[in-house]
Amino acid sequence: MNKQWMSVLAVAALMQGCATVDRRAIPVVDAGAPVSEEVAARQGYRAPAAPAAAQQEDSGVVVMVPQGDSAPLQTFAAPDTAFSGSVDSGSAAQPTWQPAPSISAPASAPAPSAPSGIPSSSSGLAADEQLDGPVLALLTTAQQQQGGGDLNGAASSLERAQRIAPREPQVLYRLAQVRLAQGDAVQAEQLSRRALSYASGRPALQASLWELIAQSRERQGDAAGAAQARERAKVSL
Amino acid sequence: MTKPRSSRTRSKRRSGGARPWLGWAIKLSIVGLVILAGFAIYLDAVVQEKFSGKRWTIPAKVYARPLELFVGQKLDKNDFLAELDALGYRREKAVSGPGGASVAGNDVELHTRGFQFYEGSEASQRLRVRFSGDFVAGLSRANGGEMPVARLEPVLIGGLYPAHNEDRILIKLDQVPPYLVETLVAVEDREFFNHFGVSPKSIARAVWVNLTAGQVRQGGSTLTQQLVKNFYLTNERSLSRKATEAMMAVLLELHYDKQEILEAYLNEVFLGQDGRRAIHGFGLASQYFFGQPLAELKLPQVALLVGMVKGPTYYNPRRNPERALERRNLVLDLLAEQQVVSVEDAAKAKQAPLGVTQRGSLADSSYPAFLDLVKRQLRQDYRDEDLTEEGLRVFTSFDPILQLKAEQAMSETLKRLGKSTEGVEGAMMVTNPETGEIQAMLGSRQPGYAGFNRALDAVRPIGSLIKPAIYLAALEKPSQYTLTSLLEDEPFSVKGADGQVWKPQNYGRQAHGTVYLYQALANSYNLSTARLGLDLGVPNVLRTLERLGASPKWPAYPSMLLGAGGLRPIEVADMYQTLANGGFNTPLRGIRSVLTADGEPLKRYPFQIQQRFDPGAIYLTQYALQRAMREGTGRSAYNRLPQSLNLAGKTGTTNDSRDSWFAGFSQDLLAVVWLGRDDNGKTSLTGATGALQVWTDFMRRADPLPLQTPVPDNVAYAWVDARSGLGTDERCPDAVQMPYIRGSEPAPGPGCGLQAPAESVMDWVRGWLQ
Repeated sequence: MNKQWMSVLAVAALMQGCATVDRRAIPVVDAGAPVSEEVAARQGYRAPAAPAAAQQEDSGVVVMVPQGDSAPLQTFAAPDTAFSGSVDSGSAAQPTWQPAPSISAPASAPAPSAPSGIPSSSSGLAADEQLDGPVLALLTTAQQQQGGGDLNGAASSLERAQRIAPREPQVLYRLAQVRLAQGDAVQAEQLSRRALSYASGRPALQASLWELIAQSRERQGDAAGAAQARERAKVSL
Repeated sequence: MTKPRSSRTRSKRRSGGARPWLGWAIKLSIVGLVILAGFAIYLDAVVQEKFSGKRWTIPAKVYARPLELFVGQKLDKNDFLAELDALGYRREKAVSGPGGASVAGNDVELHTRGFQFYEGSEASQRLRVRFSGDFVAGLSRANGGEMPVARLEPVLIGGLYPAHNEDRILIKLDQVPPYLVETLVAVEDREFFNHFGVSPKSIARAVWVNLTAGQVRQGGSTLTQQLVKNFYLTNERSLSRKATEAMMAVLLELHYDKQEILEAYLNEVFLGQDGRRAIHGFGLASQYFFGQPLAELKLPQVALLVGMVKGPTYYNPRRNPERALERRNLVLDLLAEQQVVSVEDAAKAKQAPLGVTQRGSLADSSYPAFLDLVKRQLRQDYRDEDLTEEGLRVFTSFDPILQLKAEQAMSETLKRLGKSTEGVEGAMMVTNPETGEIQAMLGSRQPGYAGFNRALDAVRPIGSLIKPAIYLAALEKPSQYTLTSLLEDEPFSVKGADGQVWKPQNYGRQAHGTVYLYQALANSYNLSTARLGLDLGVPNVLRTLERLGASPKWPAYPSMLLGAGGLRPIEVADMYQTLANGGFNTPLRGIRSVLTADGEPLKRYPFQIQQRFDPGAIYLTQYALQRAMREGTGRSAYNRLPQSLNLAGKTGTTNDSRDSWFAGFSQDLLAVVWLGRDDNGKTSLTGATGALQVWTDFMRRADPLPLQTPVPDNVAYAWVDARSGLGTDERCPDAVQMPYIRGSEPAPGPGCGLQAPAESVMDWVRGWLQ
């Protein structure tokens, strides 16, 4: 009877152990130390937007393939500043899609463009000031969490911001930073690239993103790729 | 256990003999006492062991996404109110506390309940939400003060139950509503706070009441005894069990105070049966019968639940409302009689309706397809015991509002299509293309169907849904293919490696001569597509498909180019997600995070992406898929959708219409629909007449944002002559704008007469500058 009793106790103790898991015991991602690159990057935003320089051929974007057994694909040559004379507003979504000649865009239906929950990613001015209430609030929360060493919490808050404003490159940029701090350089680079696709006309942010790509590549042991990205960072500014 | 006891009673009986046996009797009594003491020590150990350890196993709870609120959010007021209903908010004239909401025109005031999320806790707060059209126009604290963002608590959509199917929501004594403890004590055990586990007074009264009434009206069991019975003992009715129960009750009272015993009772008591699931404790019963947290219950609700303790099945308010009402009112009278409440309050409470929800809002059966997905994912990451016992809280991306719309679109469209859909089954996936989160899922045309999950498990030939992969493979080679490249849409045949001749045919058996590349995709021409695919190479096309996210092990036969290979709807969703998300693949996710029972973060399923394609090539493919919606096989969508809603999508139909597919997306919503027969029989539905109709109806209800992909840096729009496909000038007749990968724009043609002078002027200027 005693033996049985002991084993019951042991099982109970074991289960108890399972029930109260230390928050840092089973993290998804390794919570590294918070990094302070934050500050530098933010200053980067506020740097006066230099006129976009002409762009050389290599876009530096490498396309991934699922198993990585074929060579990375260089994308087609493209200048970084796409549109002439449309740097001021709404350039991110410029010509959109021109319907076929027979179809004219109707003027009747009001396009829900105004409050879409997606902050307009327009000019390359000090980008922080343009953020909407909810996104700014969540970015601030994430920053506090990161400052307190809670990288998982920060990433989670940033993903919440991303759901609210999926096309805001600053959210992706911050998420990439947190990922890098967590040691996931591959995702940091991928998220930065996604951010770049929404950062048209925001050279300061582009420069920061290229810089982050450079750091991610360094972390992955790709010195040449990092140097290439640094070149792009210079060009963007 | 019973053995020593019975020997003891036997020995006692024998001891009642003559004097010479007295010494023996004393000795035997001592032995009996020792055995009794041993038994008591054993019982004591049992009592303490179970009570001090983990008392209950709690199934994992699965939650929908919390509804976010912020200014500018696209949210219909009615959808918002439906969410509040699902969360069991009371509609009140003036908000009285957490779980209350009042509606006045476009303004909704509510008091949220607060919740522990992965990112941190959301406080319970009073909010004012103002709606304008389909948008949230204002969000503030009820006492003024702007609020940038807030979220409701998430709807509980199911649980992971262990074999014994016991479910409960643990509550603490300080979370119970007013009157609960008083009512419970008044009805079940008036002497609870005075007795030591058993109550001779209560037993005496019970005997008296039952004798005078001539029937069994009151039991003499204390709450402690009831708890002991449920907790440690079987349902056996015998005197020996009764004795053991009494002993254990006394022992329990020796070790634990009344508060602890009461709390355990509140969590243990059985209050109903939901199919195979047993409803234990007041916490779960409150959610199950009223859709509200226990703390918010009012007097009549409390009286009903307490009244049900006596016979949860007999007094089930859903099955036997009249009995339940009678019992509740009896309880209320008793409370007035014992002066727990005033006579007026009792009378008022008796006027209230039972107020139970239509069906158990926690029923595991509401969203079986999505829960199936969640369970499969969880079982990869956790042991079964962890899922069924540890009370984990699982947060998902499930959107009940979109789910309802998907269910309605499926059932009502099939009803509208009438006889042709008899015996036709369906499946649907709804995801957010930008985050890769699964928001809704149908495993059958029948909502709530818990069997074969077609969205996850039905492998069906995808027909023309494969075509974007072929055109994407072509458009990745801008030096060879552009949207205005010319393709031959003429009959041909090829001999495969196995010697079989493959002779593709167009739908309608008509050839279209020379067409633009984008037209061949938009109109889903088979001949030109098959030829293009053969030129690119079948393995190359399959490789592209794999990069898009679907990795079937298809043989590289030419017939694969027209979709002879099968995929699951969820794989199709992954494939089109990459097309919708600028060439970035995201593994589709249904779970966001997992918390422990105490609200501590345990695991996160982070957003992950991988760039698989050049954004330019994706942009051009999306362009062609938008033309498919405007003028191609998807155009009937605009019979029911506004022209301003930019969409991209593709139909899929297999031989003899055995499969009807549609996959398409807006800016913020991607949906895949499949219709067909489980036995793979013929239907009369093409992709356009079947699945597209469901898809369109869903989009009409969901009212998504129009697709607006930013133009990638390596794409430029150029003016081309719509007839020749050659470069031309904006001012020329038939000039249209088309996107091209930079450097692949068509060479200028002869122009329309205006172009030549312009050129020569430029030459002149250039010459002058040099």
